[in-house]
Amino acid sequence: MMDDALKIGILYSATGPYGAMGVDARDGAMLAVEDNVKRTGRVIEPVFYDPHASLQAYLDGAQQMLRSDCRHIVGTITSAARKEVIPLVEKHDGLLWYMCPYEGFEANESVIYLGGCPNQHLIPAFEYLIPRYGARPYLVGANYVWGWEMNRLARELIANAGGEVLGERYLPLEETAVDRIIAEIAERRPSFVLNNLIGPSSYAFLEAMKQLGENDPAFRPQNCPVVSCDLMECELELIEKGSATGQLCAASYFDTLDTHENREFKTRAALRYGRDRRISSVFASAYAAVDLCIAAILSAGSDEPAAVRRAIYGRTWDSLLGPLQIDGRTNHAALPFHLGRISDDNSFDIIASRPALAADPYLTTRGTSMPAKLRVVS
Amino acid sequence: MSRTPNFTGWLAVILHREDSNTDRLERQFGLLGIRATRRWEPLSTWAEADLVLVDADQGWDDLLPPTEGASGKPLVALLGSEAPGRIAWAMEKGASAIIPKPVAASAIFPALVMAVSIHQERRVVADKLRHLEQRVRMRPLVHAAVEKLRAVRGLDEERAYGMLRDYAMQRRLTMEQLAAIVLGGAEPLPEVG
Repeated sequence: MMDDALKIGILYSATGPYGAMGVDARDGAMLAVEDNVKRTGRVIEPVFYDPHASLQAYLDGAQQMLRSDCRHIVGTITSAARKEVIPLVEKHDGLLWYMCPYEGFEANESVIYLGGCPNQHLIPAFEYLIPRYGARPYLVGANYVWGWEMNRLARELIANAGGEVLGERYLPLEETAVDRIIAEIAERRPSFVLNNLIGPSSYAFLEAMKQLGENDPAFRPQNCPVVSCDLMECELELIEKGSATGQLCAASYFDTLDTHENREFKTRAALRYGRDRRISSVFASAYAAVDLCIAAILSAGSDEPAAVRRAIYGRTWDSLLGPLQIDGRTNHAALPFHLGRISDDNSFDIIASRPALAADPYLTTRGTSMPAKLRVVS
Repeated sequence: MSRTPNFTGWLAVILHREDSNTDRLERQFGLLGIRATRRWEPLSTWAEADLVLVDADQGWDDLLPPTEGASGKPLVALLGSEAPGRIAWAMEKGASAIIPKPVAASAIFPALVMAVSIHQERRVVADKLRHLEQRVRMRPLVHAAVEKLRAVRGLDEERAYGMLRDYAMQRRLTMEQLAAIVLGGAEPLPEVG
């Protein structure tokens, strides 16, 4: 096989509530393919498929890829799409490379996880927020598994920290009527807001919180921040200018990361996509996923998934996310934690960081209790 | 609020021939912090495990120890067959969840959570039932004690009953237990108060 073109499936939707993320993920994957072609001289053939946010189309796309000897699929953003594709990938002995933050409670042999689970985003974010703002948050979320499970976990974390959840509300995907939620927040006066809304709902909510803060300084970001675990650079342009300034977001990558690797990467990305393009964590993670996938296939000398997995484990790979290790038990990457504060020019100022945290998808090692002494990193 | 289940440190016994299903089970158990042993011979006692998984396609009665009272442990059936007889066997043995074969990684954690939770619920119900059965059995004693108080103290039935109830509450005993004491004459009768 090594003389043939190396095929990598790229399965992202450029439309729907996650459209902006899908476009970034696809572009990041594309750039990784191009960089690897230049670097290795290998023929690498990306196989693109856009499911247009339809679950059935994700299946069709994955099926087409797997049937045409494309055993590695980088893709899916929502858990629903990932869960849809996994049985097919298992059946055809392929490997899915998933690179979005998600709610955890999964560890499939046929998936390599480069997106963080809650012990890599939500828990460290709470460990930062609670000592500074208090343990009386308000929870909002999209009405599906991401929102439900993140908020369930948040409730448990808050209970274990001796705090109290002041409210919990959900909106259907794409719903932008946030007035009732805002009124309730204004009345209950939480110490911070955990935002697990998605796409347009999230943008509308941030804009309305900005209004609320203008009427009452208690709700300005410095007093009652809105923190998200999946808001990205590519989305900030879709929010009314300045509306989200000062709000917080957890991620394993931000465009503003001040490392040699990132500066070099941004120079390459600027040549390909223009100087104005901000690199989001999905862009960087899709790039890292494709990059690792190709490196592992070349190292294994085969694209056979078992061989590729063996090649990945027990090694440290250079990556855009920093030195990258994949745990052979969970198939999850250890990931750094960064907390970003949205700035006026639609980027994130990194205000706290932690070195790579091993993934604990089932929260078995430490459970959900906050450490007795909260570790403050800033 | 539902708590995040945590199986760290648990011991699971898998009663199944070794195959790709048991490989997958052992892998997932490893990352859930569960120690697993696999065997294909009868398990003599429930005490060896916190959790038992059994091949319900091939399993026979003596593969599992007898379940007396609340001695059993959470049991998960590993089932490929749709034969009603095999499903009935799994239920008769006390299985409270099924993991279909071929085993999908995503089926394991939910089945464990459900099996453990239903097992605990069954134990609570069984304990309660036992307690109530005992009380029903001893109910005639209460009547006899009320009659004795009426005769000795000259009370009407309602007051005699109320006295027995108040004294049982003070002593943190059931009415049936206190009635037995009153009838046995081991202690002086409570004063009217």
